Amino acid sequence: MNGIHTLFAALSPLFTLGQAERPPLPVWWWLTPVCSVAALVVAWAFYRSIIQRSEGQDAMREIAKAVREGAYAYLRRQYVVVALFFVVVAALLAWLAFGLGVQNQIVPFAFLTGGFFSALAGFFGMKTATSASARTAQGASESLNNGLTISFRGGAVMGLCVVGLALLCISLWFAYLYLVHHRVFGGGRPLALEEIAMVMLGMGLGASSMALFARVGGGIFTKAADVGADLVGKVEAGIPEDDPRNPATIADNVGDNVGDVAGMGADLFESYMGSILATGVLGTAAAVAAGLGGAEVFAYLAAPMLLAGVGIVLSIVGMMLVRTREDADMRQLMHALDRGIYAAAAMTLVAAAGLCWLLGLGWGVWGAIVVGVVIGIVIGKATEYYTAAEYGPTKLIAKAAESGHGPLIINGIAQGLLSAWVPILVIALGMAAAFGLSGGFREGGLLFGLYGVGIAAVGMLSTLGITLATDAYGPIADNAGGIAEMAGLGKQVRDRTDALDSLGNTTAAIGKGFAIGSAALTALALVAAYVEEVRVGLHREAAAAYAVTDATGAAGYEVASLGYGKYALYVPGGDDDPMRFTVSAFAGAGDEAVVIADPDSGEPVSIVVNQVGDGLAGMALTDAAGQSITGVAKAGLADYMARYNVTLMNPKTIIGVFMGVMLVFVFSALTMNAVGRSAGEMVEEVRRQFKQFPGIMDRTQKPDYARCVLISTRAAQKEMVLPSVLALAAPLAVGLVLGVAGVLGLLIGGLCCGFAMAVFMANSGGAWDNAKKLIETGAHGGKGSDAHKAAVVGDTVGDPFKDTSGPSLNILIKLMSMVSIVFAGLVVVYAPVVGQWLGIN
Amino acid sequence: MDTRFYLMCYRFEALVASQLPPEQFGSYMAVGTRKRTSGRVMFFEIDAERIDRSYFPVEAVQAHEDGSPRKSQYLSVYRVMEHIPLDAFGKLHLVTQDGLTLGLDGAPAPNDPEEQAHMYVELCPVGPRVVSELGPAAFAKFMTDPENALHFPRLFFADQLIEREADGSLASYLPYRDHAHILDCIEDLGRPGKKSKTVDRLPPLVAFYRTIKTGFYVGDPTGCRLYRFPSADRLDDELHRWWRSAQLG
Repeated sequence: MNGIHTLFAALSPLFTLGQAERPPLPVWWWLTPVCSVAALVVAWAFYRSIIQRSEGQDAMREIAKAVREGAYAYLRRQYVVVALFFVVVAALLAWLAFGLGVQNQIVPFAFLTGGFFSALAGFFGMKTATSASARTAQGASESLNNGLTISFRGGAVMGLCVVGLALLCISLWFAYLYLVHHRVFGGGRPLALEEIAMVMLGMGLGASSMALFARVGGGIFTKAADVGADLVGKVEAGIPEDDPRNPATIADNVGDNVGDVAGMGADLFESYMGSILATGVLGTAAAVAAGLGGAEVFAYLAAPMLLAGVGIVLSIVGMMLVRTREDADMRQLMHALDRGIYAAAAMTLVAAAGLCWLLGLGWGVWGAIVVGVVIGIVIGKATEYYTAAEYGPTKLIAKAAESGHGPLIINGIAQGLLSAWVPILVIALGMAAAFGLSGGFREGGLLFGLYGVGIAAVGMLSTLGITLATDAYGPIADNAGGIAEMAGLGKQVRDRTDALDSLGNTTAAIGKGFAIGSAALTALALVAAYVEEVRVGLHREAAAAYAVTDATGAAGYEVASLGYGKYALYVPGGDDDPMRFTVSAFAGAGDEAVVIADPDSGEPVSIVVNQVGDGLAGMALTDAAGQSITGVAKAGLADYMARYNVTLMNPKTIIGVFMGVMLVFVFSALTMNAVGRSAGEMVEEVRRQFKQFPGIMDRTQKPDYARCVLISTRAAQKEMVLPSVLALAAPLAVGLVLGVAGVLGLLIGGLCCGFAMAVFMANSGGAWDNAKKLIETGAHGGKGSDAHKAAVVGDTVGDPFKDTSGPSLNILIKLMSMVSIVFAGLVVVYAPVVGQWLGIN
Repeated sequence: MDTRFYLMCYRFEALVASQLPPEQFGSYMAVGTRKRTSGRVMFFEIDAERIDRSYFPVEAVQAHEDGSPRKSQYLSVYRVMEHIPLDAFGKLHLVTQDGLTLGLDGAPAPNDPEEQAHMYVELCPVGPRVVSELGPAAFAKFMTDPENALHFPRLFFADQLIEREADGSLASYLPYRDHAHILDCIEDLGRPGKKSKTVDRLPPLVAFYRTIKTGFYVGDPTGCRLYRFPSADRLDDELHRWWRSAQLG
């Protein structure tokens, strides 16, 4: 028995770090919260500089006010629905944590804060964007540079709020869990770093859930308004875009903000937070498994946070470089934005080298960061190539419009399908490079390789502050153009806002590619983190089972068979904390009893304890029948794959893959149908207004804009429920029925199919949109021609592709992983039970 | 309220009396008040003093009982234009499909430019698209010449762009359906005695206002008037709202 104690004392670094004499947080770590606060301070300064500008003449102020009120009305309603959802899910998580004991008790609170901070970022972004549009138009009336500065700073507020709040949320939780929690609730025992990393993933679920509502709801809103406005306004009534006579025109402008600002922001907030958290989990697991010391484990955990912090500061520096000449053309405007983005990326890479050196992570990790940055740039450029009017693919689609609607649709779909090859290949090669550079191909380096993939995602997103700024700038410029048009501003102002808007279209397409690429890498890191959560789930089950056993009087080294080949052992000395003093193990099917010999005394002991660290390395611990048993903490990824039979020969895995693919298709169909139905409601409303208020057309009566905003808002809230429930429930249902193997199949199937589908939809939609714009410049018959009519149809089809279903898939692939992670404990405990009922274990 | 007289000449031919000013009349004819129609309309203001009152029952119209202006009272339909002398034609109003009106002043057509080929779309009383080697004034004279077996008493038409690229093809921004056919027709003009060639008997006027080269013409054996279309710069700047709407269809 003493041998067990001796061995237990030599537990993994986890436990070493978990001692009360835990070292203080290193000084360099404090850069993380400082950088996040710096982002918020600069965002505040940008916001102040924007609102101090004039909103222009009365007509401009009136339009901007209507858009702002519409956006707030949408947000209010959405937040009510989301709040209800969060209360329900938090209650469910609390039940899992406090009731069933299959979840950490901090997770419900982390979940709520993740969602709250994401919503806060969305609110600040929307507030700024809707305040910046009229001011951009007014600024453009003074000079092009003023227009660019105001609109870019408006976008920068969104970018900085997203990165600032996400990193602040992470920093606050980390500092609290590291320094405070154990003193208040934790019985004096500090949480192990691995526990901290895993608990913080709960924030990711909050951010993912918020992103789901923001992206799906926002996507439905914006396209319901856009398609509805176009169908009745342009096609039936024959009135141009952004015409104040169109009752849906304000809803359309509101939609630009809720879809492209709040939706995109929430999407990338989730990626940003998810990649940092998942990489932290992987880094901790890798370092612990490699037997590294506490400082090294900490370095691997904190490196993503620090990299993100450094990226924020350098993004701010990049933002300062964005300015242009007064007579700038499109190329020069684009160059102004590129200068900021590339400068920030280059400086971040230099800083990352210093960071890797400082933390002793090695040049391989730096290489992975470089790979992440390169992936982001290449996917962005490939997206630009396949969607911008200057390049062949979009020109071909525009040419096909001459032959009619059918060829245009066929060509658009073909180009979209073809466009998927670059991002897929880049992600695949990038993943291999990041994995390899971080040592993944070396023996025993699997976790370090996965850490490399995760840190590549963090590297890609490290300059999110500025990349999101260039993205969120688009709808501001677009709205500014609309305001200039509706307010009847002069040609010079319109020309300038048009130039800013055109630039915004390009940056929006690049931003979509960036969002998809980062989602893929983040989701991949999350899938790897899922296995870590399974480990925690198994251990938590063992701890919970011990508590039950203890209550009946059992104590000491008694083994508790949890059934289904899972075991637990309570080690005396920590009655207040079963998690810490319980040892968990799993075995292959058929191991019912476990009796081993104590390595010191030779006496029989009823459990396997080879998970407790180096001290046990090499011990041949077997049960009485001579079968190997693996300790949960010590087990590697391959052990888990073997334990759950995660192979392509396992029907559960294959079924999971099919389920993942099916989900992508069904989810896409549901969101597209939602747009169709919502647009139909909008069409009816616009028709009704034209009929009931005949003076709208001759401008003697004013349309009821608010009513259209309300319809879009209601429709978005109603229609987002089913896809959202599907995205949330499917991983849980698959997990409970098919177990871990099924979940991993689902995640991989969903990730691969969802990524390809998202690229296809975004690029097809973007290319159709720009083919129409190309024709509107005079090519192939120009505006109003038959080719243009065909292109309008393509654009209408492409609208829900690129702005609803495609972006929503980014969320789906990440959310499924997050849901799987958070509910892994439940799956670990109950999937075998369900499987037994169904006879499929 | 004054009574005004308008000659509708696209898409149908009618003489209409109305108490609405041209802008409101155009909007009314294009989109209606309750029917929510939409469609491009063109009409002339007509000087009633110069009309043959023995042919048309021209008289002032009365406002509605509630005091609202009489929007339209049709005085005559079918073969109307031929009975209105050229000097009675006032401003030409072009109305977009959503009811925005642009008024053009007329003036005697200048001397024809020396170009090898022109393309015209006839708007009233018939509507084919033709290519011709004749300049606008000569074309009007030719088409209304009583000496010709086939002629019209009076013709309202517009000249359309046939700008060529360096390789001889029609410029890509031109919204005509079959560029090759137009080029073939132009080619045919080279045949001896071939002054004009029909391109399309009833062409769809797709993105019509964008295709106008010089302007609109109304001509008969007594003369030809040009209603000059505004320059691209003016359309884009001063007339922006109308031009945006006009480009839609």
